[in-house]
Amino acid sequence: MESIILVWLAVFVPVAGAFLLPPVGGVSKGARNLGAFAMVGFSLLCSCLLLSSVLNGEVVTVSLPFLAGNNLFLADRLAVFMAIVSSLVGAVIVLYSMGYISHYKNQNEYYFMVVLFLGSMMGIVYSANLILIYLFWEITAISCWRLIGFFREKTCVIRADKAFLVTAFGALVMLIGFVMVYGQYGSFDLQTIKSASAAHPVANLAVLLILFGILSKSATLPLHTWLPDAGVAPTPVTALLHAAVLVKIGVYVYARLFVSTFTIDPAWETAIPLIAGVSALVSGGAALIETDMKRIIAYSTVSQLGFIFLGLSIGNDIGLAGGLLYILMHSIAKGGLFLCAGVVEQKLHVKDITRLGGLIRTMPVTAISFLLCAFSVMGIPPFGGFFSKYMVIAGAIKSGNYLITATFVLGAFLTMIYLFRLFAMVFLGEAKTTPVAEGAPVMVGSVAFLAVLSVAGGFFISYPSVFVQSAVHQITGVVQ
Amino acid sequence: MMEKMMLLAVGIPFIFGVGALMLPKYAREAATMLATVLNLVLCVRMYDQEAMLSLPWGGYGMLFELRQYHFSSFILAAAAGFGFLISLYSLYFMRNRDKGNQFYAYLLLSLGMVNGAVLANNLVLMLFFWEGLLGTIFGFIAIGHREAFRSAVKAFILIGVSDVLMMAGIGMTGLLAGTLTMSAIHLPLTSAASCAAFLLLAVGATSKAGSLPFHSWIPDAATDAPLPFMALMPAALEKLLGIYFLARITLDLYALQKGSAMSVILMTLGVVTILVAVMMALVQKDFKRLLSYHAISQVGYMILGIGTAVPVGIVGGIFHMINHAMYKSCLFLTGGSVESQTGSTDLAKLGGIGRRMPITFICFIVAAAAISGVPPFNGFFSKELVYDGALECHWLFYAGALLGSFLTAASFLKLGHAAFLGRNDALSTRVKEAPLGMLVPMVVIAGGCVLFGVANQLPIDNLIVPIIGAQRAAGHHFSGAPENIFLVIMTVTVLLAAYVNHMYGVGRTGNGVGAVDHIHYAPVFHPIYECAEKRLFDPYDIGMTLVQGIARLAWRIDRANDWLYNVAAVKTALYLSCSVRRLHNGSYAVYIVWTVVGAVFLCIYMNA
Repeated sequence: MESIILVWLAVFVPVAGAFLLPPVGGVSKGARNLGAFAMVGFSLLCSCLLLSSVLNGEVVTVSLPFLAGNNLFLADRLAVFMAIVSSLVGAVIVLYSMGYISHYKNQNEYYFMVVLFLGSMMGIVYSANLILIYLFWEITAISCWRLIGFFREKTCVIRADKAFLVTAFGALVMLIGFVMVYGQYGSFDLQTIKSASAAHPVANLAVLLILFGILSKSATLPLHTWLPDAGVAPTPVTALLHAAVLVKIGVYVYARLFVSTFTIDPAWETAIPLIAGVSALVSGGAALIETDMKRIIAYSTVSQLGFIFLGLSIGNDIGLAGGLLYILMHSIAKGGLFLCAGVVEQKLHVKDITRLGGLIRTMPVTAISFLLCAFSVMGIPPFGGFFSKYMVIAGAIKSGNYLITATFVLGAFLTMIYLFRLFAMVFLGEAKTTPVAEGAPVMVGSVAFLAVLSVAGGFFISYPSVFVQSAVHQITGVVQ
Repeated sequence: MMEKMMLLAVGIPFIFGVGALMLPKYAREAATMLATVLNLVLCVRMYDQEAMLSLPWGGYGMLFELRQYHFSSFILAAAAGFGFLISLYSLYFMRNRDKGNQFYAYLLLSLGMVNGAVLANNLVLMLFFWEGLLGTIFGFIAIGHREAFRSAVKAFILIGVSDVLMMAGIGMTGLLAGTLTMSAIHLPLTSAASCAAFLLLAVGATSKAGSLPFHSWIPDAATDAPLPFMALMPAALEKLLGIYFLARITLDLYALQKGSAMSVILMTLGVVTILVAVMMALVQKDFKRLLSYHAISQVGYMILGIGTAVPVGIVGGIFHMINHAMYKSCLFLTGGSVESQTGSTDLAKLGGIGRRMPITFICFIVAAAAISGVPPFNGFFSKELVYDGALECHWLFYAGALLGSFLTAASFLKLGHAAFLGRNDALSTRVKEAPLGMLVPMVVIAGGCVLFGVANQLPIDNLIVPIIGAQRAAGHHFSGAPENIFLVIMTVTVLLAAYVNHMYGVGRTGNGVGAVDHIHYAPVFHPIYECAEKRLFDPYDIGMTLVQGIARLAWRIDRANDWLYNVAAVKTALYLSCSVRRLHNGSYAVYIVWTVVGAVFLCIYMNA
């Protein structure tokens, strides 16, 4: 009973609370900022409190009497894992926003949208049926549209429209897929579909349509170009899109539907890694040519999403565990990278890396945090990313497909090269701009916190790893 | 007890390393010395004892497993010795240089990583420590000077690429063996998959040791990084680590057979490394850069020895590893003392300091004789063993190695002549001998070179033969004077030839720097050297050009993809809406026609 309340609170405190923020902001800005942080933090707390019950193997289901057989929410290990990752990184980003956004107009709208965004992410994570997933999916599309267009300039609005149109179009296609699934099994409820699809796999066309929606949200080739363009948004928003919420929705829903619920044709275990591999290579290569700091990191996200998809779709337990760990490590490190870029951008108003250099001397904390997070994304020990990268590659090797393995090994080289190029051009060498001091303490503190988390993720790998392993056991139905 | 000591061997350098980063001047030096002494005492106490430890870690076979046995404790003790001596040397060398806190932190962290990698009994745990060195090597080089980060980035990417390849090899080995615990893996090299996995692991191991083709960061680092780094990492610890793992994969993890394809590949890699790097070393005009090419070239002997897969070759390869760590770090240390006393390492500016720095010069002579394979120094005995193994496989490998020996001797005659002898009035009047703290490590290591040569049965019988096991060693006799007199005669002949060649070169140009100009500017070699100096053969630059090509292609694909959204989709939508708008021209008659046509179609569809 208590767990059920926690799920309700985790979803609806931010979703409903977001609507209170603009009126509160009219009275006191400080109260609004703290309120936003408190709501996201509270949601994180609720998810953490769910840990003990899901670790005992309990699956919390929430249903309403009049929905007749359709569960509303469901909290298992996978859901709680994803909820904690998202709200943890989300909370750090909200904290950072207090320093970043304080000089701009429309702050009420900003906090409203951010909290709504994170709340609807919680909604997706805990959803137990396809309709609810779709509902929250579209709420995130709307709030991300507003947030990308936050600066109101023409290019920003056009880019925001592009992001909205691509993801909303993807969602519509996905909805057709959902309807086809309903036509096949007569239910939108995930658990009902799960038991029904064990005997009759989901039709390939439905899988393709749903996958289209997922790839559009998770910015995978050929549906990825809106993500680099979304770099015009304020940096905390891009961090939110890349690290905590938007692109992670796609991979989460992939894991929820295709790994945990549906039984699909094994051919997808080759097809999806191939798409992911091409996506990882193309975006990794593009990141080497690009000169805009935020766009490079955005391409890096597209490339790293390829690794996550590889892990989730390769069809063995080590790859799946690697994919889930990758979500965690990538969220932390990529959030850190964006927030560091935000410190630079806010101080210098320059995003072109050919016009930057030597910043390590005046911004040492930002530079070191950036380097540590970059190491984690590259998969260098002792950082957390090492384990996820190893496990994903080991999963690819275990699948026996050497072409896929080679593609991702090449992708890993590219990751190292483009991130190092970025670091060297921005922070090392001769200074090309007037020297500026470090950013606001709350901003630098946030990036340092994420950098420390990246290091801790490597040294204390056994904690997330044990949890991820138990989640994988639950997903694959292995009795421990 | 032993389990705790293993954890301490990893933990102490880590904790003190983080401490050194934060402590003020003098305190951090004290902390570094304390840590290296503790580490040395610990590693000596642990020597030749056995212990195992296994703790839960990452899951899926990734356990925190440490194993202490003869081989690992030998490497551990050697690494601890170098760590201690070089940090002692650094106290003086780094005294007036900034970023000392980072330097000592990287030194201790590297030591901890090496200890961890050597003790690890789980492949992923080993990779964890092994690849962790990436960060410290990057830092070490980057603190050299303001532009040193370029070399640091190069080092990072080259080592990173080889480590990722090794990661793939570890994944494959884990899958083939069904476990990641190193002591439980014994795989035959029969299937294609096992050969591929073996090669990937070998790429990682040989690259760590500094062999081709992932070597080209070492000469750049030699000129950019603080010198003790060169003496510590590429000269000593990386060799120990890389060759340790190469020996592990050929002896334990996989069963390398004499004459097999894998063995031939390794031996070829060895000989090519020897020759290419020594040819480059020959023509260098900088003390440190010349030494760094030899640090690459000598790895070739170790790979050749281990790659032969015959007992005498393996013993020679491993013996050469420990010998090389000694004479090469000694050489780098003499280079450092020349640099700090004269302010230069450019051979054209040096000379005439042999009398003013006698102890440095004597240490240099000992180490240079050892690397050139002059009896009775340690390098002579290990090279003879490698030659013996190579000759047992094919005379071509032996001939290549012997040619390498000639060129090594020639280049060290040139180096010694140019740096220490000759006339240089500007230097020979004001230069003083290096301070005691820098001399002690050099003298100790040079003494080791003599000891391991004269009394070579000590290291061979006690340290190395147990590694290959009594079964393989049975019926062989490795220590003492070389058994094959033919090999000794050839070696001596080659050394004499190198001396004659040197005298000829000096006679031609009149100074030590130009001693090998007749080879440098010989008709065939000159154009090749020209290209090499333009870095046309640098695998890093070639690789980067390749990557740039891939990147440009990817960029095109990405832009084309974006065009679909920004132009194609927009134009299509506009075109459609314009066409539909043209139909809505406000004429009632047209609208009625459309309605009727539509109604007719509807009726037909409903009836069909």
